[in-house]
Amino acid sequence: MTEAIAQWRGFKAATWLGWEIASNWTRPLMFVIYSVLRPISGAFILVVMYRVISGSAPGTSAYLAFLVSGVAFWSFVTYGFAGLSNGIFEDRGEYRMLKYVYVSPAHFYVYLLGRGLAQLASAVASAAIVLVVATIALSLPIDPLRVNYPLLLASSALALVAVIGMAMAYGLLLLQARDTHGYGELGASVLYVVSGAIFPISVLPGILATIASLSPLVYWMELIRRSLLGSHAIRMFPALSDADVLLRLLVTTAATLILARLVFGWADRTARRKGLIDMESNW
Amino acid sequence: MSHPSALRIFLKTIVARSYPRFVAANRNRTWLITETLLPLIGTIAMIYVYRALHAPSRYLGFVVLGGVLLAFWQNVIWAMATQFFWDRSGGNLELFVMSPTSLSAILLGMALGGAYVSLTRSVAVLLIASILFGVSYSVAGLLPAIGIFVLTISALYCLGMLLASLFLFYQREVWHLADAMQEPIYFLSGFYFPVRTLGAFVGGIGSLVPLTLGLDAIRQLVLPGTPAFISLGWEVLAIVVQVAVYAFLSQVSLRFLERRARQDARLILRST
Repeated sequence: MTEAIAQWRGFKAATWLGWEIASNWTRPLMFVIYSVLRPISGAFILVVMYRVISGSAPGTSAYLAFLVSGVAFWSFVTYGFAGLSNGIFEDRGEYRMLKYVYVSPAHFYVYLLGRGLAQLASAVASAAIVLVVATIALSLPIDPLRVNYPLLLASSALALVAVIGMAMAYGLLLLQARDTHGYGELGASVLYVVSGAIFPISVLPGILATIASLSPLVYWMELIRRSLLGSHAIRMFPALSDADVLLRLLVTTAATLILARLVFGWADRTARRKGLIDMESNW
Repeated sequence: MSHPSALRIFLKTIVARSYPRFVAANRNRTWLITETLLPLIGTIAMIYVYRALHAPSRYLGFVVLGGVLLAFWQNVIWAMATQFFWDRSGGNLELFVMSPTSLSAILLGMALGGAYVSLTRSVAVLLIASILFGVSYSVAGLLPAIGIFVLTISALYCLGMLLASLFLFYQREVWHLADAMQEPIYFLSGFYFPVRTLGAFVGGIGSLVPLTLGLDAIRQLVLPGTPAFISLGWEVLAIVVQVAVYAFLSQVSLRFLERRARQDARLILRST
C-alpha cells in the first residue's frame, strides 16, 4: 500500500512537472495559443498546396479531410514523442535532476509516464482546435454525432502507448550523446514521413513503404480517418476491415513495446555503466 | 598608450562574434546533423505530398527552394532572435553591455556567422533533395537568382537583428513565441506553394518577412512558369527597401530597448 502511494505521488508530481516544463511556466492560455498556431498553420499549408494542384472542385473535401485529420492528430506524436524524449536529456543537462529521479522512490517508468501524460493535455487541445477550425472553414465531412468514438478512443489509446514507449527508448538512447538538442524533433520528423499522416504510404519508395507498414502510427492514422469520416474517408488499406486494421495496430503496438523495452533496457544499463545519468553536458 | 579607433573596435567585434559560429559550424557533429536533416526531412515530406497529388515537377522545385530558405529562417529565429535571450540566461549579455563595443557589432557578427552556418546546411538540402527527386533548374536565371538570394539574406538578418532586441522583452514565453514563428511563417511566406495563392492581402502581410518576396523572385528566375506574386523588379526593389528599413529599425529598437532593459533590470534577468 505504501509502495502504491509512493508511486502515485511520483506519478502526480511527474505529470505536474511535465506540464510546467512543457509550458515553461507561462500562462496556460498563452501556451495554448502558441501551441495551436503551429498545427493550424501546418494544416493550412497542406490545404493551400492541395488547392494549388486540385483547385476547389467538388469532391475535394475528402482529401482535405485526409490531410487535416492527419495533421491534427499528429500533435500527439509531436508532444508525446519529441516532448518526452527531449525531456529526458533536458532533465539531465538543463535541470540536472535526472540522477535525483533515478534515486527517488517512484519507479523511473512511472516518472516518464507522468511526464508523457502531461503532454497529452496540450495535444488534445491542439488536435481539437485544428479539427474544429478546419471542419468549419473548409466544410469537411466530419459530423460530431456520427464519429465512431469507441474506435477513435481505442486506437488513440493504443497509439499513445506505442508513442510513449518509443519516446522512452529514444530518450534513453539520446543520453549516450553529450548534446542531442533537436533530436526529439528529428525523430518525430522521421516518423512523420513514414506514418501516412499527410500522404498515403503507397507514395513512398518500396523499402520505406515496407518500414512504414510496420509502424503502429500508420494503422492509427487509418483508424482515425475511418472513425471521423466514415464512408468519406480516403483509405490507405481499402482491402482491410476496421477490425483488421485495429488488429494490425494492436500487433504492431505490442511489437513496438517489446522492441522499445529491449532498447530502453540496453540504453539504461549502458548509461548507468558509463556514468551518463549525471553527465555534465555543458547545457 | 593609444586606444584603438571606434571603427576598429566595431570591426573586431564583428569578427570576434562571428568567429565561434564559423568554427562551430562543423565542430558539433550532433548539431550539424539536426540542422541539416530537420529542413531536409521537412522538405522531403512536402515533396511526397505533391507526389501524392500528381503535381507537375516544377512544384518539387518549389518545395526544395522553400527548404533551402527554411534553414535560414530557423537560424534567424533560434540563433538571432532568441540569442540575446540565451545570452542573458547564460550571463553573457551583461558582459556584452559592459564591454567597450556596441551591441550592433555583436549582432552583425552573429548574423555573419549565422548566415555562413545556414549556407552550409542549405546547400546540403539543395543538393540532396534535388538529386534524390531529380529536380532541375533554369541555368540562365542562376546568376541573378544568387544576387537576389544574397539581398534576401541581408534583409532577413536585418530583421533578425530587430527581433533580437524585441525578444529581450519576453521572458519564459520566448520559447513558445519562437516556436510560433515557424509554421505560421512557412504558411505566410509560401515556403511550399506560390505565395500568389494567398491573395494580395495575406501575401502582402507575408511580404513583411523578406523571404516571401525573395523566394518568389528566385522561383521566377530558376523555375520558369512559376506564378508570380508581383513582378521581379518590384520584388527586388522591395527587398532593398527592407534591408534599409530593418537595419534602421534594428538600431533604433536596440538603443531604445537597451535603455529600457537597463532601467527595468532586464539585462540580468534569468528566465529560462
